[in-house]
Amino acid sequence: MAMTTSQRARLSKTIQIVLFIAIIVALVLALDWDKTRYAFFSFEELGPMFPDMIIVGLKNTIFYTVISFAFGLVAGLLLALMKMASFAPYRWFATAFVEFFRGIPAILVLLAFGFGLPQAFGTLWPQPVNIMLALGLVSSAYIAETLRAGLQAVPKGQTEAARSLGMPAWRAMVTIVIPQAFKIVLPPMTNEVILLTKDSSLAFILGMSITQYELTKFGRDGIQSLDAGLTPLVVAGMFYLVITIPLSLVARKFESRSARTKR
Amino acid sequence: MTTTHNSMAERAAGVEITDLRKSYGSNEVLKGISLDVKPGEVVCLIGPSGSGKSTLLRCVNLLEQPNGGTIHVGGFEATDPEVNLDKMRQNVGMVFQQFNLFPHLTVLENCTVAQIKVLKRDKATAQATAKLNLERVGLGDFGARYPDELSGGQQQRVAIARALSMEPTLMLFDEPTSALDPETVGEVLAIMKKLASEGMTMLVVTHEMAFAKEVADRVVFMDGGVVVEEGRAAEVIGNPQQPRTQDFLRRVLDPTHVDI
Repeated sequence: MAMTTSQRARLSKTIQIVLFIAIIVALVLALDWDKTRYAFFSFEELGPMFPDMIIVGLKNTIFYTVISFAFGLVAGLLLALMKMASFAPYRWFATAFVEFFRGIPAILVLLAFGFGLPQAFGTLWPQPVNIMLALGLVSSAYIAETLRAGLQAVPKGQTEAARSLGMPAWRAMVTIVIPQAFKIVLPPMTNEVILLTKDSSLAFILGMSITQYELTKFGRDGIQSLDAGLTPLVVAGMFYLVITIPLSLVARKFESRSARTKR
Repeated sequence: MTTTHNSMAERAAGVEITDLRKSYGSNEVLKGISLDVKPGEVVCLIGPSGSGKSTLLRCVNLLEQPNGGTIHVGGFEATDPEVNLDKMRQNVGMVFQQFNLFPHLTVLENCTVAQIKVLKRDKATAQATAKLNLERVGLGDFGARYPDELSGGQQQRVAIARALSMEPTLMLFDEPTSALDPETVGEVLAIMKKLASEGMTMLVVTHEMAFAKEVADRVVFMDGGVVVEEGRAAEVIGNPQQPRTQDFLRRVLDPTHVDI
């Protein structure tokens, strides 16, 4: 019996839905619900973690991310300008720096700063400074590449017009090129902040005092001290989403806006 | 606007170019050009594409670095390595084929940014000067708009107002109408004609032969990196002596009658 195209499409959809439901049912029947609930959803046991998880953990995650990003932005801009410099040794240095910090895992940089520095030089400053230095350096390597691409995306005629009006090179860069590049790099920069927010979780491998804990360290601490399976980490994950989802919404808004007009 | 008129003619600067050479690698695009533009004079550079006329113009304010020869602009020797380039460029207005307006600034800000940042004028003075020059190009009401809200012809007029706001002693035009829709070419040429009549020194790279014939004091025909022929506009365009000039003008003025 011949079927029309729309009949065939409807049949295909029905089969997909039936399959999907079948998989869910199989999972529900196969899972040990008591154990699953204990491992991931023992929310009633988490009382002792609050409100510190928010006023210390969430606060520190945001604090480490923001300071690291600010540091990464300044260092990244410097590296981007060095990469575009006419003096070759600047370019060599910037390229080596970027390749190095993009090429090794962030966690190794964190270990080098959090464990290595104190071993080599004694305690120079509180542990969070090491965290932010490490994260800032890693992000500066990525930010440098994003900024360089953004700066080079501004047409050469813009610099020529600025220079023709008597602006020195630095003034043309600051007043004409950087503001335009900034608008171009806003969406990728927002993604960079999201990555950095998540990378800040790597700090959990370092030793620190309880007031310096960020979300993941808090979660891991909770796993050991509470009888709630992995639930503390589930909650930590939710807090990350509270930070990152609004950021991606913002990034998407920038993207649609810059698509609408060149300004 | 008699005061502007007089002061512009009095301040107008000349250009002296001697044996100018420019190469890109082994490709020599300017092969020893000498050319003088007297204060208040309007000189049009014509010639086929690749003849070096845009490169010559861009050398005058050092957007291209010459390999040899000298250029004097106003009181500056542009080719002196010690010259204060930024200071010199403040006196040389440049209008580009692609307008190159600053898209992140309003029309008014386009005309004030260099006055404020370079000439250190206060904002009110800069805005007054900018408004005056926007009115000169017939766009007095467009200050609050952004460049991408304007037509090509309007953008190029803003670019002229932006250059004029620096009160230059010399204006360079690099094919200012080549990127325009045909119906907006006239409005830009009309502004340039007005500027010329006010006594501005102008060096213009153009393919608009009617404009060159009517407005230019002198026309310079370039081909292959050398000046082939120069003289009074009516003579070079109306009665060219050199075969290469004759050939070029025949093709430009009568594009459908080309022997293939």
